Amino acid sequence: MDIKFEKINDIRLIVLEGELNMESAHKFKETFKPILKERNAKVLIDFAKVPFIDSSGIAALIEVCQNLGKVNGRMCLCHVNKKIVNVFEITKVHKLFKMFESHQEALRSF
Amino acid sequence: MLIEEKLPSDPDRAPVFIEAWLRRLRPLGLNDDQVFGLKLCLQEALINAIKHGNKCNKHLAVWVKIAADPRCLAVEITDQGQGFDPGAVPDPTAPENIGKNHGRGIYLIRQTMGAVDFSNGGRTIKMVMPLTGDRSGGH
Ligand SMILES: Nc1ncnc2c1ncn2[C@@H]1O[C@H](COP(=O)(O)OP(=O)(O)OP(=O)(O)O)[C@@H](O)[C@H]1O
Ligand SMILES: [Mg+2]
Repeated sequence: MDIKFEKINDIRLIVLEGELNMESAHKFKETFKPILKERNAKVLIDFAKVPFIDSSGIAALIEVCQNLGKVNGRMCLCHVNKKIVNVFEITKVHKLFKMFESHQEALRSF
Repeated sequence: MLIEEKLPSDPDRAPVFIEAWLRRLRPLGLNDDQVFGLKLCLQEALINAIKHGNKCNKHLAVWVKIAADPRCLAVEITDQGQGFDPGAVPDPTAPENIGKNHGRGIYLIRQTMGAVDFSNGGRTIKMVMPLTGDRSGGH
């Protein structure tokens, strides 16, 4: 998985490219280490180029979301493909993540 | 079509095997949703066999059998571990479990496949995906 960072005002945009699975989950979680040192971090994760997720990927997302919450941070997801949304819905973890169809909508939500 | 393989208990190598099987199954003409579902279930079952079953022990193997005909695709995965009681696995969608960082693999398999059956004391999982319906669509 490739992970790119951008900043839009005070919001961190994290653009993922590749599968969020057992292999990449660790790298994904490591990415957030510095961000978790901030307080009130606002993170938008772009899923446009994530074609696949497995249970380890879901676990990584949940961990990151919970860890951000502990330091008053917030995260949301955008451009999540239909099949991945379906996996979130099956496991009911869609209740844990805010998801948006576009950057604009996501940015407005912070 | 029949695929039979003996795998080493190395979780990092599982995705490479899975991609190779999916390539071999391409003539079946599965749609995108079916390929996604199959890949997910292969990944979950294989990782369970390697991690929970064989505890990543290099000296233990996992056997995979994929049998496909135009009507259905059957996958059987067997490990050499201690086995377990699949009936005792908690529901990951129960409110107290939704935030946990594990426990979704078998649930995802059960929700995705047409039929799922454990035997051999939990060391063998058999899952069947019906292949009827539209195979040209998907997104
Ligand atoms: N092949 C197996 N051998 C022994 N125990 C198993 C096997 N497969 C599953 N289990 C047991 O069943 C439990 C549930 O498996 P499941 O795949 O649903 O969740 P998980 O592997 O714990 O986490 P996740 O799949 O969400 O990463 C496992 O924690 C393990 O105790
Ligand atoms: Mg599992």
